[in-house]
Amino acid sequence: MRKLLAGAVVALAGLGFTGPTMAQDALTLQLKWVTQGQFAGYYVAKEKGFYEEAGLDVTIKPGGPDIAPEQVIAGGGADVIVDWMPAALAAREKGLPLVNIAQPFKKSGMELTCRKETGIEKPEDFKGKTLGVWFSGNEYPFLSWMSKLGLTTEGGADGVTVIKQGFNVDPLIQKQADCISTMTYNEYWQVIDAGIPEGELTVFKYEDQGVATLEDGLYVLEESLNDPAMVDKLARFVKASMKGWEYAAENSDEAAGIVLDNDMTGAQTEEHQKRMVGEINKLVDGSDGTLDTASADTTVEVLMGGGSDPVITKQPEGAWSSVVTDKMKELN
Amino acid sequence: MSGARLLGGSGPAATALMAGLAGASALGALALLESGQRGLVLAAVIAVFWLFSWRLTVNLAALEPVGRAGRTVLGILIPLVFGVTLLFLWEFIVRGLAVPSVLLPAPSDIGVRIANSLPILWADFVQTYLKAVVAGYVLGCGSGFLVAVLIDRSPFLKRGLLPIGNLVSALPIVGVAPIMVMWFGFDWPSKAAVVVVMTFFPMLVNTVAGLNAAGAMERDLMRTYGASSSQSLVKLRLPAALPFIFNALKINSTLALIGAIVAEFFGTPIVGMGFRISAEIGRMNTDMVWAEIAVAALAGSLTYGLLSVAERAATFWHPSYRKA
Repeated sequence: MRKLLAGAVVALAGLGFTGPTMAQDALTLQLKWVTQGQFAGYYVAKEKGFYEEAGLDVTIKPGGPDIAPEQVIAGGGADVIVDWMPAALAAREKGLPLVNIAQPFKKSGMELTCRKETGIEKPEDFKGKTLGVWFSGNEYPFLSWMSKLGLTTEGGADGVTVIKQGFNVDPLIQKQADCISTMTYNEYWQVIDAGIPEGELTVFKYEDQGVATLEDGLYVLEESLNDPAMVDKLARFVKASMKGWEYAAENSDEAAGIVLDNDMTGAQTEEHQKRMVGEINKLVDGSDGTLDTASADTTVEVLMGGGSDPVITKQPEGAWSSVVTDKMKELN
Repeated sequence: MSGARLLGGSGPAATALMAGLAGASALGALALLESGQRGLVLAAVIAVFWLFSWRLTVNLAALEPVGRAGRTVLGILIPLVFGVTLLFLWEFIVRGLAVPSVLLPAPSDIGVRIANSLPILWADFVQTYLKAVVAGYVLGCGSGFLVAVLIDRSPFLKRGLLPIGNLVSALPIVGVAPIMVMWFGFDWPSKAAVVVVMTFFPMLVNTVAGLNAAGAMERDLMRTYGASSSQSLVKLRLPAALPFIFNALKINSTLALIGAIVAEFFGTPIVGMGFRISAEIGRMNTDMVWAEIAVAALAGSLTYGLLSVAERAATFWHPSYRKA
């Protein structure tokens, strides 16, 4: 009996030493898309224990084709979401008070990929052609670009015919569209994998065209920033996430492996994820998570310059805040 | 009649009183909402409105008008009152509880959106309904009917083709639609193809059942008249099959609309009801989504109504139309 009691005491003491001493704060992150290298930083931070060290218990919810992160946070399903600035600003104008608290992606990975045989060599050649565009919030940079080029999206000889493509590259392969929307890190490589060599493709990067908008950023509802405890939680979260991104930049293959381990669908392949993490690291480009307000202003300019159909009609106020990243820098 | 008896009773006077009270409480609730008042007073007025409307509908249902015109008017009035009550309740609850419009817009917002977007709604209706649905419906029902007549003639086809038709009907539309887009392109032909796949089997099964519905005595009678099998088909069996055929036509009208809208989620030019719904939900314009839903509901109901009228004209002889 004595030995049993002693053993029980030792076991309980042992249990006490396994976990961190501070209580874990719960936080739910809603991703913009399915589990893939695009979100490597967050998965690395969870797997490598950076969130745990910061006293956070983070639940990562993958997104998908019909999941709009803005609706998830509006419905209370997440505390912080990964979203693109155009969609967040449009939602804000509709009455959903989203605020950008951090911007891990410095650069945009969006591009229009065309088959060389269509004869498109410069953006002016888009006239009369069929272009594939994603919707669900991803159409804003494209609409702004077409407006800048002076091309109507109604079709006809003086404009472009737009088709709403799915999140795949079939329209290009089946020759149903002359150009399709792709990301540098995902669909572009799907086209290459489908057997179309790089030499047969003409690519227009939104960054080069001056119509790039800010992509993956972290957004919360405005009321979260009124609570100092929540701001502290978010600051720790951003710091740990950026540590995850740093780690992913230095160990991209390992990061790809971590993403694969977390992929519940089993749809991703190692080769594709390694490539994706490599490309994503170029977009993060060593960012410490702070939003560059000049880039944000450029994004707003692109969106408001939409001619007859601007994406947002009013200059956004309070759409981004440095409260969290300032607090993050105070943390040791 | 004393006031209390009027409130509790039925009959034309009581009904008129209920209508007046329901209208007054609706106006009261609206006035409260406009002035920004939310809370127990508003909740009480809404509850009162609902009680009076309920009583009004009950009273209307109990009325027994003399003339045929009166009966027709009443037949329209009761569902109208019920529907309007629901719309008012929706409006009051959404505005009273300050439900965010991205979750559920108020009927007034939806109405405003419909009024402002008539050209867009019409263009979407033309693309989805007049092109994809009508073409697919005619092709699907037509081919279902023809195959059923062929099956009727050939026992070999009956054994072989019916199980395959069974299989085709079980294909999930969300699997078929992307394949059709790949085969037939992004425009309305692929949506019509999806509608064909969806409407083929119900028409086939119902026509086959209908062709077997003619009674044994009637078939024997045609034999005694020396009718050939095609004469028997045209003069006896097809008319006897009409109730079944109309049944399938009505089912298919609903399926066709669903099929065309869902097929548009998988690849479409930037016009069409399915496109509008998926694009606008992505932009959080839920009032536009509801506007499209309203158009779809209207189109579906009108089609069903037209088919019912045609059915009445063609199958007036059927026992189901006899009045007690």
